[in-house]
Amino acid sequence: MKLLQTICIALILFVVVAFKPSKPTTLVGNVVHDFALKNVDSKMVSLHDFADAKGFIVVFTCNHCPFAKLYSKRFNDLNSKYIAKGVPFLAINSMDTLVYEEESFELMKQKATNDNFNFPYLYDCMQTVGKDFKAEHTPHAFVIWKENNQWLIKYSGAIDDNGEHPEKATPYIAIAVDDLLHGKPVKMPETQSFGCAIFYRK
Amino acid sequence: MQTSLRFIIIIFLFSFVAKSTSAQTYNQLWIPDTLSGTTFNLIMKDTMKQICHSGQQTITSGFNGNFWGPTLIFKKGDVVHMNIQNKLNDSTTVHWHGMHLPAVMDGGPHQVIPINTIWQPYWKVTNNAATYWYHPHLHEMTEQQITKGLGGLIIVRDSIESALALPRTYSVDDIPLILTDRSFTSQNQFNVVPYGDSMVINGTMHAQYKVPAQIVRFRILNAAIERSFNIGFSDNRNFSIITSDGGLLDAPVSVNRYLLHAGERIEILVSFTSQSGQSFDLKAYNSTLSQNIAGGDIFTNGPFVNALAKSDFNMLHLNVVAQTSNPITTIPTTLTTNVLINSTTANITRHLTISDSAGVTTPTILGPNAFILNHKLFDIKRNDYQVPLGNTEIWEITSSSAFGHPFHIHDVEFNILSVSGAAPVAAQAGWKDVVFIPGATGGGPGNPGTPTVVKFIAKFDDYADSLHPFMFHCHISLHEDEGMMGQFVVKDASSSSGVNEATGLMKDFSLYPNPAGSKLYINFEDPTMQAYYVRISDMLGRTKLMLPRPQLLGGIDISQFAAGTYFLQLTDEKTKQSVTKKFVKE
Repeated sequence: MKLLQTICIALILFVVVAFKPSKPTTLVGNVVHDFALKNVDSKMVSLHDFADAKGFIVVFTCNHCPFAKLYSKRFNDLNSKYIAKGVPFLAINSMDTLVYEEESFELMKQKATNDNFNFPYLYDCMQTVGKDFKAEHTPHAFVIWKENNQWLIKYSGAIDDNGEHPEKATPYIAIAVDDLLHGKPVKMPETQSFGCAIFYRK
Repeated sequence: MQTSLRFIIIIFLFSFVAKSTSAQTYNQLWIPDTLSGTTFNLIMKDTMKQICHSGQQTITSGFNGNFWGPTLIFKKGDVVHMNIQNKLNDSTTVHWHGMHLPAVMDGGPHQVIPINTIWQPYWKVTNNAATYWYHPHLHEMTEQQITKGLGGLIIVRDSIESALALPRTYSVDDIPLILTDRSFTSQNQFNVVPYGDSMVINGTMHAQYKVPAQIVRFRILNAAIERSFNIGFSDNRNFSIITSDGGLLDAPVSVNRYLLHAGERIEILVSFTSQSGQSFDLKAYNSTLSQNIAGGDIFTNGPFVNALAKSDFNMLHLNVVAQTSNPITTIPTTLTTNVLINSTTANITRHLTISDSAGVTTPTILGPNAFILNHKLFDIKRNDYQVPLGNTEIWEITSSSAFGHPFHIHDVEFNILSVSGAAPVAAQAGWKDVVFIPGATGGGPGNPGTPTVVKFIAKFDDYADSLHPFMFHCHISLHEDEGMMGQFVVKDASSSSGVNEATGLMKDFSLYPNPAGSKLYINFEDPTMQAYYVRISDMLGRTKLMLPRPQLLGGIDISQFAAGTYFLQLTDEKTKQSVTKKFVKE
């Protein structure tokens, strides 16, 4: 009898307390579009500027996010290693510059200089490119690859799995790019991106 | 044959359990720093912390640190000034849980601090010595922001508590314990869920701590999103509860278990005298919880069940070490004399209800079936009650909900009059700001069961404010975010600053010098005029400074502002009208 009562209450609770909708929709396979964004050297940068590129590493990052700040050296290393193999590195700042003073173009220039960025650091002031990629956080890393004259997302997620200790990290991006360069499917095409949320103006 | 096989399996399982237990390494319990004095600088930031044993750092938020903030030590009678800076990636609020203070300083959902803004509330500490806390209270974001680690303890000291021979050497024999649970994604990031599958105490997993062989005081806060903790020690020893949420009890209450719900605090005294060299565990004995108490759930799947559900688990491993010099070795027999509110003095009894949905459609996580107060979802524009200033009120809460809810009210500490007709247990017969409303009993499909009724009494003696309300809500952050919350204003009927504002236009004021250097002064046309609120924004509309009821004689410190043009919006105390003026910072 008591057990029956318990089960009844459990059933009520089960009905009462519905579950959170599970959302993960994959970004991998999505098509992204070419763009023209201002670099910190004030020149415009587009994907089609890199005529020989097989793909790109595109990382949405910003000035103020503490977690994104850990990765400057790794960004330079990724660009040095992969630009020679036809996969240049692009950093894009899609943060809302009206809300975050630290995300101004002037401070982007300072960051690029201070951290010796050897890659373009692009100012997505209208947030259109961030929306096109559906970038959620800084940092949020993508690998895009050219197929049938379109740019397809082949990897979306974290840069690696250890922000504070690069020497212990599994380099997710590098593994994905290496797979693609060898003509293989990406073993781990999607990981979780996390850091500071990018809020998009309506 | 079968028997021996079973025997072998059992032996095998036992060896596995023994192995996994011995392999467990403990982490040193982290103790928050303390801040004391009358001015408190708190900066909220997004940051990260190595919470999991290996792998990725967890993205966290903290006050001045990376998970939980410093413990603020207040002295009763002091005026404390808070300098709160939001360097988070999002807006927030900071609520001073349990503090009796003006609504405009309370940090509820109305006192939103935008990004990069400084908020400077201040108030006179009138609370009794006990343990309180601070945490975000941004509507629909509370669960997420607390999950990331925003919060901290407040210790109030007063002359009565100070005169007692109690342990009060912070981190040595007076140890803060912030109980939470968390769960992590495969990338070690927090899942924003009501129940975690890992015990996290003071931001530490698998924690251990050294305690001296004497009487030790633990200040325990349940800061979990939802889970209740049925606190006890592994050797089943008794411990003495000395405070309820809002002050000392008349006398210590000796128990061997105490069920602490979300938002509640107790301080306990535990004797480790003559036990140097021994080890004990502080545990949650949650296997005994009924299924309508948070943490006693018996579902077989879903977000409400995990390794900690309806089970006993370790919270903190304690290693007893040598006595300190001048140890406390006895537990006082009496603590204070609480003068509780006489129930016959009540001006009104308000009747509140808690129910399961009752046909109200909720927009978000819990779908159409959230738990609700008074058959209504929270509406930030609706005042549910106007409490006349000076009122003594009985709040009678009748719950037909199948689940128990910790009910919290802002502004006041109250006395519980009854729980299901019975007087409160001794450990709750003092000052409280959270009361557990048990779920309805004996229900089943088609049968709502017998509702439970809880009554408490409180006095609303001061801090009338027609604009800013106080909140009352379920302290399970998920339920609160889903709308299980209401609000009331304290109304001064005798004064023009009551709900019906004085008519007429507010008087003029001017800003000087303009352009200004490090200080900006306000000159009022009418010297009796007072500022209710001052808000300074830059040319792009970014709020820089929020000053509730500012004391303006010394001017406003704008030395940190960049040169440029700014707007100062002043809201007048009497008329509650606002006028904005421009000034230039050189």
